[in-house]
Amino acid sequence: MIRLQGIRKAFGKNEVLKGIDLTVDKGEVVAILGPSGSGKTTLLRCINYLEKPSDGEISIDEFAVNCRKPAKKDIHALRRKTAMVFQQYNLFRHKTALENVMEGLVVVKKLPKAEARQKSVELLEKVGLGDKLDAYPSQLSGGQQQRVGIARALALNPEVILFDEPTSALDPELVGEVLAVIRKIAKEGITMIIVTHEMSFAQEVANHIVFMEGGAVVEEGPPKTIFQSPKEERTRQFLARFTSDSAYSI
Amino acid sequence: MKLDFSFIWTACVGLLPAVPTTLKITVVSVLCGLAIGTFVALCRMYRVPVLHRIAAAYVTVIRGTPMLTHLLILYVSIPLVVDGLADRFDWSFRSAQIPMIGFAYLSFSITAGAYLSEVVRSGLLAVNKGQMEAAHAVGMTTVQGLRRIVFPQAFAAALPNLTNSLIGMLHGSTLAFTVSVVDINAQAEILATTNWKFFEAYLAAALLFWGMTVLIERLSALLERRVTRYNRGGVA
Ligand SMILES: Nc1ncnc2c1ncn2[C@@H]1O[C@H](COP(=O)(O)OP(=O)(O)OP(=O)(O)O)[C@@H](O)[C@H]1O
Ligand SMILES: [Mg+2]
Repeated sequence: MIRLQGIRKAFGKNEVLKGIDLTVDKGEVVAILGPSGSGKTTLLRCINYLEKPSDGEISIDEFAVNCRKPAKKDIHALRRKTAMVFQQYNLFRHKTALENVMEGLVVVKKLPKAEARQKSVELLEKVGLGDKLDAYPSQLSGGQQQRVGIARALALNPEVILFDEPTSALDPELVGEVLAVIRKIAKEGITMIIVTHEMSFAQEVANHIVFMEGGAVVEEGPPKTIFQSPKEERTRQFLARFTSDSAYSI
Repeated sequence: MKLDFSFIWTACVGLLPAVPTTLKITVVSVLCGLAIGTFVALCRMYRVPVLHRIAAAYVTVIRGTPMLTHLLILYVSIPLVVDGLADRFDWSFRSAQIPMIGFAYLSFSITAGAYLSEVVRSGLLAVNKGQMEAAHAVGMTTVQGLRRIVFPQAFAAALPNLTNSLIGMLHGSTLAFTVSVVDINAQAEILATTNWKFFEAYLAAALLFWGMTVLIERLSALLERRVTRYNRGGVA
């Protein structure tokens, strides 16, 4: 179980997260929605300390990090319990697809090379890239790169995988292949927190929806409730924009 | 005046014993300079308290003054310091025991460190910030991320500039003659005066330097092709 309590973050005087509380159960898929600038990315980055929260507590099962006075080894431990899939993929550019997936297994998990390789090959096959093991990121399409990114995250066997708009940098025709992979791993019971603007995807894959605005959680609940009968006016307005958009695109 | 071609050849052979000296000075100062430069660049990039100010001052002072001046200042100051300390603490060691080439190593390393810190810095800046974030995200420490992810890419980006610096230092190493180190150039001077054939001796030195420079350029091109393999799409 992942638990965020009172997470705050300010960039200078600009308070971007104003005390976020969130609980994610094991195996749950949480989608975070919200307008641009509402702090979704910042929240996700706080969870693995790519951004340093100014206050609050992050806990994963028994393990807790107090953001006021985090120990270096706690930050490190937190990062090993989480994995991230980036909007811009951020694959290691000088490593092949296979090496990208192996890197964490060998360097962080200290797996023997052969074992790491075998596991990595399996994962790349799972995301449909069994034939691209030796390709460098520059030789892969965006969709393929993002699937390597997902395999890299899966390899670490984390307690939670954080996705920051995993498809928003992709050409429309490549979005489907990445969503298909996420859908597949969601079914395997891996805990995930996904920031996305793909409303229908969120509705379909997530067990829990969080709507954020202005650095705070405005409303949360099961997809059915949030999409069909949101309590808050702001949620309703936000979703209306998307449903009318998709009405056109059909 | 007639050019004595056969003496150019003789001089080239006569200069060979000095080649290792030139190479040693060049390699030692570039390697030490690279270590200093990397440390300085990291101090400045990560804004390490106090150290980053010292690092910035080091770079402006050293780059703002000629390499020959560094050598001469160290050459006169180190003996004063060493002998002063020796007197005070009753050491038997004397500055006269420092080999001349030691002054060249030290001084040129300091010079190279300042220039190379900028080369390293631009290499590091060429690496996308997301690379270190991804390294952290897979659970690496900052040191692991630097070593395994950032440095290899920074090295590839900095290689052309590193090659330039290496060649610059190869040629700059000739200044060592001012502290009586017999490098290729100093040896050419000796051959020139003893045989009264200046032009030929200097030409021979030029040929040797040119040869070494071309060699460095070739090796660098080969290395560059290897380390930037990942950047050229469409090979697979
Ligand atoms: N490194 C930073 N320095 C200063 N301000 C920042 C930084 N990162 C984010 N911000 C600010 O924090 C606020 C929230 O940004 P964030 O990226 O978390 O929003 P978001 O909800 O992910 O938006 P989007 O949907 O556009 O991705 C914004 O106002 C942004 O300008
Ligand atoms: Mg964002």
